[in-house]
Amino acid sequence: MSSVWLPCGDYHQNYAADQGWWQTRFIKGKMILLLLTVFVGIPLFAGEYWVSVGTMVGYTAMGALGVQLLIGYSGLLTLGHAAFIAVGAYTSTMLILQFPWPHALMDSGLAYPISIIVAGIAAGLWSVLFGLPSVKVKGFYLILTTMAAQFITVDFILTQYISQIGGRGQAFSLPPGTIRIGPWVIDNERSVYYLMAVLLTLMVIVLANLLRSKPGRAWVAIRDNDIAAEALGINIVWYKLLAFFVAGFMAGIAGAFWVCNTAALSPEHFQWFLSLWLVGVILIGGVGSIQGAIFGSIFMVVVMELLQMAAIPLADYWPSLLMDFAYIKDMAFGLAICAFLIYEPNGLAYRWWQAKNYFNLWPFSY
Amino acid sequence: MKKSIFLKLFVLLLGVALAAGFSTVAAAKDIIRIGGIMDTTGGTSDVGKDYAIGMSDAFKYINDNGGVNGKKIKYTWFDYGYRIPEAITKYKMLKRMGSVIIMGWGTGDTEALSPTVNKDKIPYVSASYSAHLTDPKKTPYNLFFSSDYSTNARSAITAWFDKKWKNHPDFGKRKPRFACCYMFASPYCSAPIKAIKDQARLLGFEIGEDQDVSLFALDTKSQIMALKSFKPDVLWHGNTTMSVAATIRDAYALGLGADWIVDNWGFDENLPRLAGEAAEGVMGATPCAFFGQNVKNMDIVVSSAETYSPGVPLGKRLNRTVQAWGDALITWEALKRADRKGVDVTRKDAGEAIMKQGFETLRNFDIGLGAAPISFTPTDHRPATGCRIQIWKGGKFHVVEDVDLKKRWPELWKTKWLGW
Repeated sequence: MSSVWLPCGDYHQNYAADQGWWQTRFIKGKMILLLLTVFVGIPLFAGEYWVSVGTMVGYTAMGALGVQLLIGYSGLLTLGHAAFIAVGAYTSTMLILQFPWPHALMDSGLAYPISIIVAGIAAGLWSVLFGLPSVKVKGFYLILTTMAAQFITVDFILTQYISQIGGRGQAFSLPPGTIRIGPWVIDNERSVYYLMAVLLTLMVIVLANLLRSKPGRAWVAIRDNDIAAEALGINIVWYKLLAFFVAGFMAGIAGAFWVCNTAALSPEHFQWFLSLWLVGVILIGGVGSIQGAIFGSIFMVVVMELLQMAAIPLADYWPSLLMDFAYIKDMAFGLAICAFLIYEPNGLAYRWWQAKNYFNLWPFSY
Repeated sequence: MKKSIFLKLFVLLLGVALAAGFSTVAAAKDIIRIGGIMDTTGGTSDVGKDYAIGMSDAFKYINDNGGVNGKKIKYTWFDYGYRIPEAITKYKMLKRMGSVIIMGWGTGDTEALSPTVNKDKIPYVSASYSAHLTDPKKTPYNLFFSSDYSTNARSAITAWFDKKWKNHPDFGKRKPRFACCYMFASPYCSAPIKAIKDQARLLGFEIGEDQDVSLFALDTKSQIMALKSFKPDVLWHGNTTMSVAATIRDAYALGLGADWIVDNWGFDENLPRLAGEAAEGVMGATPCAFFGQNVKNMDIVVSSAETYSPGVPLGKRLNRTVQAWGDALITWEALKRADRKGVDVTRKDAGEAIMKQGFETLRNFDIGLGAAPISFTPTDHRPATGCRIQIWKGGKFHVVEDVDLKKRWPELWKTKWLGW
């Protein structure tokens, strides 16, 4: 970290330096400011409602990161990601409610954190199972095989069998105080938000690290040209399945987190529309960018909430507005995707990159 | 140039939305804020739209007729498209706006929100009549005016047993055969299944395999074919009108020959319109009267529909409007009672007091509308002890039986059937 500003010219001597996160003090300062905003600013100064909106942004981003890894970095199209989130949610809930935990573990509040990790692994392995066809098929055909994951997992296995365990209405409603990590009981908007912030930060760190290491380079190579990647000696079967595992793992964590936000679960939480929504998120945010998944989530959640708020006063003059709002929202979702694909196919992340460069080079930003 | 215009337009729209958003919660004195989460576009919109319009009519009528002891109600509602994550964000928004009571919709979202509602102490008056919401030990802030789904289901199969099976040539020779059609994935549809099977066993039925029928089903021939080998005498349908109509039409076409008993959300004025001849003889749970039937307070419902929703022809209104009024009327009464006892019902933290001084003081409260008298106690939120079962016959709805489960099985009602 030689100076506040990166000097002109390329002074990086090796790959590690080129990929370093803290290249200047300014960048480190920006990241610290971002973390302070996420961990201190929002929970302390935003109202409870906006904190809950922040939680929804985080949940969407957790799901979208996995989709981003598959579509944006590995070129593996998916439309069944909600299934893996569901596997995570159900694994975590079943473990908390049905598993005969030793009293010591329950009393020390370790059941939920352990269930989060197991949920990630279970969803990761389940994702690998549905990733197997990617060895043979790609593009449009892979979309169909991932859609099968949605129908087999949610509509068949979870609905017909898993949801029936323990009796209707009994097994999947978590009693107050059940979800805790050690002595920390997660039972209000702010505690849920903090958990989201910690999990999302960890997921971003892990994914960013993976992407600048060997698997990341292999994924990008496969995305750009899988035949050339294989010719270079990359084991494309292994790396494709690894991408499915990591994406599924993150979806599982997202699902396990979702449980603490609702304290109740049913297959209706994971309908196919959620999978489509997550693809929309990365299209708007920017395909092939971690920031893209987060920007897309902010856009889709916050902008939709703002639209809804704008509708409330307008409803006094246009009463059917609230009745039609879901249509308007879905229309806005569709229009936003069309608009971004036409006018900004690189998504919000590209705009952010442009804005950042403008200010980095200011006043000589030409 | 074009891009710059788009950008400016986007920023302007965002600015307007932001300004509107942050001004939404501007408080007004003596206003009671009530929120609504409705389904007018999603999986249950075939019945949800009329319910949503009815609820809006009811609150307009309440405001035009003195409000809550002079205080006006500001009713703000959203469509959530029957998507549970959406319902959760809508709930949080309504809470932020200071809603003292929330009028909810589906079973999935109502049950999903129940732990949050308990924590927030906001009375949640839903169109979900799931019996899982009736035990105050588990769900102290969930309410509705109607007999719950389990009571409806138990009453429907009991009425069929009393009125149909006893006249059947095989009565006394063999057990009646019974099976259920419903969408397994839907918490609404699956809510009373355990109860109706329990009742079937109590009455001595032989129970067949359940059939999974989607709420969006248009073709159910495979399910009917699967039922044919079982030769059922009576079938329960636990979905909403559209898929119920599709199923009974297919059963009629394939000559299944079984009677149908239907939960309240699948049994309305649209059923004979959609199912035609196949609807003849279908029996259903009717916790309140059909729209326009000659019962107490129906004149208010009909005249309000004319006044406040002139765009919707009266001929197209359903008993869903009446059901919405049922929930609105108990809310009105609870607010008036709480207000008279000195509770500041405009405060957003008044939920607990409204529950104790309002809802839980209702004892055999008569709302008219063909509904049973309504009671809530701190230990039992089952509003009614039985349900009226009606049949569609000769182009009209006729009463089959008013089943009172509490009278018939007092011990089971008291000790066994609460909360499921």
